[in-house]
Amino acid sequence: MAKILVVDDEENIRLLYSQELAEDGHDVTTAASAVEAVARLEDKSFDIVVLDIKLKNESGLDLLQKIVKERHDMPVILCTAFSGYKDDFSTWLADGYVVKSSDLTELKDEIKRVLAKKSQRQEP
Amino acid sequence: MEWECCWAKNEITPEDCPHIARGEEELYASQQRRVVEKCLGCSRFRNDIQKLRELHHPLAEVLPFIVEEFIDQKARLQSLGSFLNSKTWEIRFLHELNVVLQTSMDLDEILSIAMTAITAGKGFGMNRAFLLMTDKERQFIRGYLGVGPRDYDEACEIWREIGQNDLTLREMARNFQKTKLASEKIKFHDILEKMSVPLAAQQHIFNRALRERKPILIRDAFTDEGVDPELAKALGVDSFLIMPLISRNRRIGLLVADNCITHKPITLHDMQLLETFAFPVAFALERASLYERLQEEVDKLTAANEKLKEQQELIVKMEKMALVGQITSSIAHSIRNPLMIIGGFSRSLLKTTTGNDINRKNLESIVREAKQLEEVLEEVLSYADSLHPAMDIWDINQLLVGVSSRFKKRLEQTGIKYSCNTAADLPMLFVDYKQIAFCIRTIFSAMLEAPDVDEISVSTRLDGTDIVVEALDDGTASRREAGEELSPTASIIQEMGNNLGIPLCKTILEKNGNCLLIEKLPLRGTKYTIRLPIRKEGD
Repeated sequence: MAKILVVDDEENIRLLYSQELAEDGHDVTTAASAVEAVARLEDKSFDIVVLDIKLKNESGLDLLQKIVKERHDMPVILCTAFSGYKDDFSTWLADGYVVKSSDLTELKDEIKRVLAKKSQRQEP
Repeated sequence: MEWECCWAKNEITPEDCPHIARGEEELYASQQRRVVEKCLGCSRFRNDIQKLRELHHPLAEVLPFIVEEFIDQKARLQSLGSFLNSKTWEIRFLHELNVVLQTSMDLDEILSIAMTAITAGKGFGMNRAFLLMTDKERQFIRGYLGVGPRDYDEACEIWREIGQNDLTLREMARNFQKTKLASEKIKFHDILEKMSVPLAAQQHIFNRALRERKPILIRDAFTDEGVDPELAKALGVDSFLIMPLISRNRRIGLLVADNCITHKPITLHDMQLLETFAFPVAFALERASLYERLQEEVDKLTAANEKLKEQQELIVKMEKMALVGQITSSIAHSIRNPLMIIGGFSRSLLKTTTGNDINRKNLESIVREAKQLEEVLEEVLSYADSLHPAMDIWDINQLLVGVSSRFKKRLEQTGIKYSCNTAADLPMLFVDYKQIAFCIRTIFSAMLEAPDVDEISVSTRLDGTDIVVEALDDGTASRREAGEELSPTASIIQEMGNNLGIPLCKTILEKNGNCLLIEKLPLRGTKYTIRLPIRKEGD
């Protein structure tokens, strides 16, 4: 079980992710904006962040940079509607990249993979 | 008194004077002119003066002095007259030449007039002339053009031709440019080759003439120590003239002229005359070559302008494309999220719905349709992405393996056998990775979706100047007949939502000079062949 922060400006997506990931036994917290996400990250410790790139008037990539700068051990998975961002080098900072789909299998697999990698890194 | 000469008669008959020639008939009636022009030089007149002396005529003693002085003055006047005539001719000739040389910008026209002027009887009358030009880039004096006959027979032929057509110098030059310039360049090729000299060979007679900026008249080439024996042998004459062509301190080249046929001696006067002519020739040659270079630059500039215009059009097109990309991205975000929510929640509901539930079938339909819409959306987005090609050098085998690895999981889940056979040592391709990857991915998807497919194979090979990527499946039938997938671009939109991928692949590949062929195999399966011509960067 992992503590996951989902950052997405779409309420229904946050709800869907919460339900689906909670079903798999994860502890899910959501944030609708970058400001809210920063506040959540300060309040609570998380194992992983699932981050949307387009957040209304903010950029998820700016938030990604901030997270990497301040919490370099915090894995981030980018989850976006547009696969074109994969070629943007600023997304390479993220540990994973998933194109949004109604089938959440890929996202769940990616979360598993990134968490496994994280735990491997933390092992002495 | 009976006189021997006719000087005392007003009018005479032809028998009276043997010195009056045909055309001078008016002298029969003009005593004054006859005395001045004919009698004073006549021996009969001298006899008559002698008779006067015998008669002790008072004028008889002084008359011979007067006659002698008159004849002397007359000769001097005639000499001055002919000198004046020759100078007038020279001035006229040089003026005519200068007019042509000053007004022409055409290098060939200048060469023709200059070389004709040197070799024509109406010009400087030399038998043969060579033009040598300095090649500053290669630091050489190079033989450029030779004009004149190679032997006596050819000389006779040329002189006969000139004699038949009484042409002006300009007309002769025009004729020469039209009919002979090209062939003359080849005719003296062997001699011109031997006349080439490096600019660094300071002791060579050509460089000496250029350095000293003075013409050099060689009188005995075979014994002159300053003349290269090879040059003397190539020219085959004792005497020749070297005239440097200098324009505003720039060494343009040299003129070498000789009388190889008539062997007429070259005089200092010939040299001086040619020297007067050398400066306008040098100036005209320099101007023409600068004009030619300027013309080349203008052409380059025009071509650059054309290219710039094309680039501007391309930029406008790309800006439009970028706008399309932005719109597509925006639509993607707007459609994909709701679609994901619909499909995602339907899946959630489906998980908690039993097999007997009347809503299960409806939920399954929503999930299926949402999935299909997501796939169509992905295809549209990939196509929009491919509108901005980023060409680079890629290894097609690496590209194929990279794309196929994305389907590994799906192949495992479905149990479809997969084999990949790539040819070794294939040349690199200059392609857009995203475009080719999109096409291969789409073909993979089409093969995986074919009903009853058990096996998929892909391979690469070199075929002449193309790299061929071949993909085979053994599906029993396609949703559509294989050949029908190749619909024209115009109908692509109508096919959206059904099977957009393959026609899009065909459009993308053909736009970039590649080719996609789809064949339905006789028993079962479909073969997809992508033909990629080997291109290098800049092709």
